[in-house]
Amino acid sequence: MGESTNEWNLLAPIIPFVLVAPLLYAQGWESVEAAFLIVVIPLLTFPAILVAGQIYNGNETWKNRFKEGGIFGLGALASSLSISLWIVYDYVAGSSHFEMHSVVEPFSWLTFDVIHYDGSQWDVSSGFADIGVGVWLDPVSLMLLFVATFLCFLICWFSLGYMNTDPINEDSNHRFYGEFVLFAIGMFGMVLADNFLWLFIFWEIMGLCSYLLIGFYYWKDSAAAAAKKAFLTTRVGDVFLMVGLLMLYDIYGSLEFSIIFDDPSTGVGGALVNSTDLNWALLMLFIGAVGKSAQFPLHVWLPDAMEGPTPVSALIHAATMVNAGLYLVFRMVPFVDVHVNGVAGLEDFALVVAWIGGITAFMAAAIAFVQNDIKKVLAYSTMSQLAYIFTGLGAGLLFLNLGEYHAGYFVIGASMFHLFNHAMAKGMLFMASGSVIHEVHHAHHHLHHDDHDFDPQDMRNMGGLASKMPITSIAMMFGSMSIIGIPLIGGFWSKEGIIAETWLAYLHKEPLMLGPAILVLATAGMTGFYMTRMWLMTFAGPPKSDVAEHVHEGTPWIKEPLIILTVVTALGGFLLALLGAVDYLGGEKDHLAMHGVVDTLKHAFLPDDNELRAIGWSTILLAAIIGPIMASRVHGGKLAEGVKANPIVGWLVNLSSKFGSQDVSEMANSQLAEALQRRLYFDDLYEWIVANTAIPFASFSAWFDKNIIDGVIKQIESNSVSGSVSVRGITTGSTRDYILMAAVGMLSIFALIWGVSA
Amino acid sequence: MGIAMAVAVIATMLFLGQIGNIDWTNITQGGYVLQNEAVELIPSIGVSWKVGADALSFPMIWLTAVLIPISMLVEWDAKRGHLFHPLLLVMEGALLGVFVVLDLFVFYVFWELTLIPMFLLILMWGGDDRRYASMKFFIYTFAASVIMLVGILVMYFHTDPISGMGSLTGHHFDLVAMTAQENLIPSEGLRHLVWLMLLIGFATKMPSVPVHTWLPDAHVQAPTAGSMLLAGVMLKMGAYGFLRVAVTVFPESTIEFIPLLIVLGMASLVYGAWVCMGQTNLKRMVAYSSVSHMGLIFLGIATMQPLGIAGALFMMFAHGIISPLLFAVAGAFKHHYHTLEIGSMRGIAHHSPWLAAHMMLGWMASLGLPLLAGFVAEVAIMIAFWMTYGWLVLLPALTLIITAVYYLSSMQRTIFESNDPEKGILPDTMHGEEPRDITWHENAGMLILGAMTVLFGIMPFIFWDMMSDWSSGFTFETLIDAMHSQGWKP
Repeated sequence: MGESTNEWNLLAPIIPFVLVAPLLYAQGWESVEAAFLIVVIPLLTFPAILVAGQIYNGNETWKNRFKEGGIFGLGALASSLSISLWIVYDYVAGSSHFEMHSVVEPFSWLTFDVIHYDGSQWDVSSGFADIGVGVWLDPVSLMLLFVATFLCFLICWFSLGYMNTDPINEDSNHRFYGEFVLFAIGMFGMVLADNFLWLFIFWEIMGLCSYLLIGFYYWKDSAAAAAKKAFLTTRVGDVFLMVGLLMLYDIYGSLEFSIIFDDPSTGVGGALVNSTDLNWALLMLFIGAVGKSAQFPLHVWLPDAMEGPTPVSALIHAATMVNAGLYLVFRMVPFVDVHVNGVAGLEDFALVVAWIGGITAFMAAAIAFVQNDIKKVLAYSTMSQLAYIFTGLGAGLLFLNLGEYHAGYFVIGASMFHLFNHAMAKGMLFMASGSVIHEVHHAHHHLHHDDHDFDPQDMRNMGGLASKMPITSIAMMFGSMSIIGIPLIGGFWSKEGIIAETWLAYLHKEPLMLGPAILVLATAGMTGFYMTRMWLMTFAGPPKSDVAEHVHEGTPWIKEPLIILTVVTALGGFLLALLGAVDYLGGEKDHLAMHGVVDTLKHAFLPDDNELRAIGWSTILLAAIIGPIMASRVHGGKLAEGVKANPIVGWLVNLSSKFGSQDVSEMANSQLAEALQRRLYFDDLYEWIVANTAIPFASFSAWFDKNIIDGVIKQIESNSVSGSVSVRGITTGSTRDYILMAAVGMLSIFALIWGVSA
Repeated sequence: MGIAMAVAVIATMLFLGQIGNIDWTNITQGGYVLQNEAVELIPSIGVSWKVGADALSFPMIWLTAVLIPISMLVEWDAKRGHLFHPLLLVMEGALLGVFVVLDLFVFYVFWELTLIPMFLLILMWGGDDRRYASMKFFIYTFAASVIMLVGILVMYFHTDPISGMGSLTGHHFDLVAMTAQENLIPSEGLRHLVWLMLLIGFATKMPSVPVHTWLPDAHVQAPTAGSMLLAGVMLKMGAYGFLRVAVTVFPESTIEFIPLLIVLGMASLVYGAWVCMGQTNLKRMVAYSSVSHMGLIFLGIATMQPLGIAGALFMMFAHGIISPLLFAVAGAFKHHYHTLEIGSMRGIAHHSPWLAAHMMLGWMASLGLPLLAGFVAEVAIMIAFWMTYGWLVLLPALTLIITAVYYLSSMQRTIFESNDPEKGILPDTMHGEEPRDITWHENAGMLILGAMTVLFGIMPFIFWDMMSDWSSGFTFETLIDAMHSQGWKP
């Protein structure tokens, strides 16, 4: 512990895993044929880690050399990454082609028959036959596949440092890595699934892993409660999602993408699809997406989910699993796209999506204003950014359903691009926050050995870390800039498009889009405020506690993934924008190709359309200038005397002290701040409802069953006992009575038999 | 007890060895794949020894043969093992009898025979209140079976004579012949009455609300192996008998009474789940969850879709491997922590990591997590249910949330939450005893059950295909005609 060098030789065992892809290539495999291995290799690894962990727990080699299973997990994820890079390369470079998508032959999982009533008689229904398993690839699933494999790999690497150097995790890390790899299976499987049922199956596997990993510190009350809350809240959504699947199956006679998307306007047996039915089905699916992506009103679980270890927050609750809902909504595009056989009349559904997005974006950003826990700020930021994507998708669905397919594809592409940018930036921000928490925790452990009341996640204990943690502070700076949408960096390239198109949808198509349009624009400024606030509270100003003075960046395995991801965050957005990622993800182009730099910049900053120009520049003004300056006035400040940070960060810290300062203590004590602190009372409300309806009703049911239903049985029982006591009186002892009774008995038996058989 | 185990294992092996010899492709016709030439037992009243197996009974037979050695393994150290293990073998014989016999007289004999070993298991190895529970179990289900017997007798007296059978009465108990006989009971009223009598017997066994209250009492008092078999196989006798006798012989009455099936199924499923949520005893909770899951079987049958019926069959099988795991876990709590009160302990995962892991898997399987056995059945029944009844599916679907609530809460308040990274809070019943993990044989039994849960979750087609074929054949040959004659439509 404490040494800052990695033992690179420990990584030797992952080499054979990485070689899987080149070897298969040398054997003449097509990359797509190998896609199933992305899921299968981790599937074989995860039980191996758990079993080996149970057996070798405490063993020195297991602990130091194999990092309690971390090396195996990393190996499996490396092979998944290498295969997925191979696939992505094949498609992006064009050596494999798809028109819109590409499917690998599925095999049947369940086969069955269905009968239907055709008005006069019952017959075997054609079209219903089986539910299969297969691989589906299109630009968006390629992008998600890259995001998932890349981040799973990097965050597993990060965990080698974060988890294995914390004494509290000792001898339980195999559980962490096992569950981590199981999660990866769920995510990879969901991305690759070629039908809605398997999408749902892997979706639930992710839910399980989310539950297990949030509750990783199962002995903590708060962690156990948070895990349960996460599972149950998403379960509410999942149940509706399942109902949506049933409805889709009834409409189309299949859940396979290739069959449904071939012609979404015709259902099973060639019947025309009724837009009301489809509307309900999509709405049910959307409730599932709302639960999984933590949107209003099922958002309450995500902030609590931060009880899990930080790598889990980075991977599951910021970068991958929470995107599942977005992916599901993206999969609804063919249903509404009237340009290619979509069903008209689904504008209302699109509006619902956009409104839910707008409300969540604004609400989450507002709550993020008052959070002092660094991970909670990021959690609310995640909710808010995901909500952006929902708003964008809602606007896109609206355009597509009204026949404006260019605008529609553009905003859908921008939304998916934002998903990419956000996943990279937020994964990295969480890793950086993990780095901060880890080092603060270390420093505290070093200074005050016995004090357990210290919260290493509270930003009020930090401050001035810019000089102590150069790499982390730069990483977090780029991450925050990407989330805020500072021009040229990451998220700017996608967020701009979402906000602009939402406004255009209001201006040209649908007055009811005004709400989401205003909300997302306001949120852009608020994002600028709370992200800057978080960065300044952590890194700027003088240290706010003695612990913060003694922090230093020293844990192995943490810096490298952080640096890699910082580079991707800082440059990836711009590069992909130059390559036309928005058109590619929107499905308007089937490959990536270089645009002119000038063209791209002109398109972003000086579009021909006046309205777009106005919206674009007001977004930049709000997000990049007004929000950060207001945050600087409250939380900005120079570092302590005599302490130096590296030039970029040092300049930023100094800049933050130049806008004067503002006292907000009065505002911080207002009722509004109190309401925001209490998360706008949603958690209280839900708890109150459950405590006053479900729990009393359950107790009543138990009482009813015990005293009424079983009470009747007990009554019969006691009556029959007393009855038999009185019947005992018949036992007279007189032979004459007995003969009489026997005769009557026999007669009645004969009568009974005769009567029944007649 | 080693001998008993050996006998059970040999029986299982012999049986498993037969699987390869069966030509399952013929199963599509809904006929019996294995069937012997009838041997006359009591020719004067038409009783014969006639056995057979098809895709309805085969998974149940398989389940019985596999579960008996596993439950022996889990209770390897039972007190008075020289009585305990042979009783389990008697149980195995009786259960197998129920599932293979095609003669209703012998069927009834085996049906009642299963009561005796279970009665003794509860009475001799049960908990504190075993006398009451065993009596209640016996008398309750016996009373219901007697009503069923009356129904069987009425059927008997309506059979046409077959040559050589029933020289005295002119009737017979042959189920295959009864099924084949056109219009077994001509009077519609009497037919419905007989159907209801059969239903009372079978529904009590399943058990369905409102005749379920014997189950929690029996489970709470029964020894672990007894609970495992009770939930794993004995409850399935009800669903099996219902499909085999009531639905097969009287499809018209079944269709007439579909609303009743839905009411019973919904009541069991929804009300059962709410009662579960109100329980404080772990084993009682698991017992009520069985009631709740059995409700899905009625709902699956009520869809009148091959898919729904196959789902019901798979539910019988999946619940047959999941619920023994649940009861093994509950039994281990009783065994090692001497209490079943939820909330009397915390953080048990510290002391019994294996127990906690098995609990997690079993609980997750039972709440319908995908890639574990229960999910396939649930999703199949739900799809079929939506097709027939539309929005009514929201009731069972929303019940899945309640199921998740009681399972997760019970885990949270037993194996999690001690606020100490080193140790849990032990129940008072430990009296200073050192907590320990489950024994090797408990662990082995649970591992096998857990592995099967995962296996049949990922590869349900091992049994699903034959179940699906059977349901299709059954629907096309039996149910569709009845639906037409009754004019039933969704």
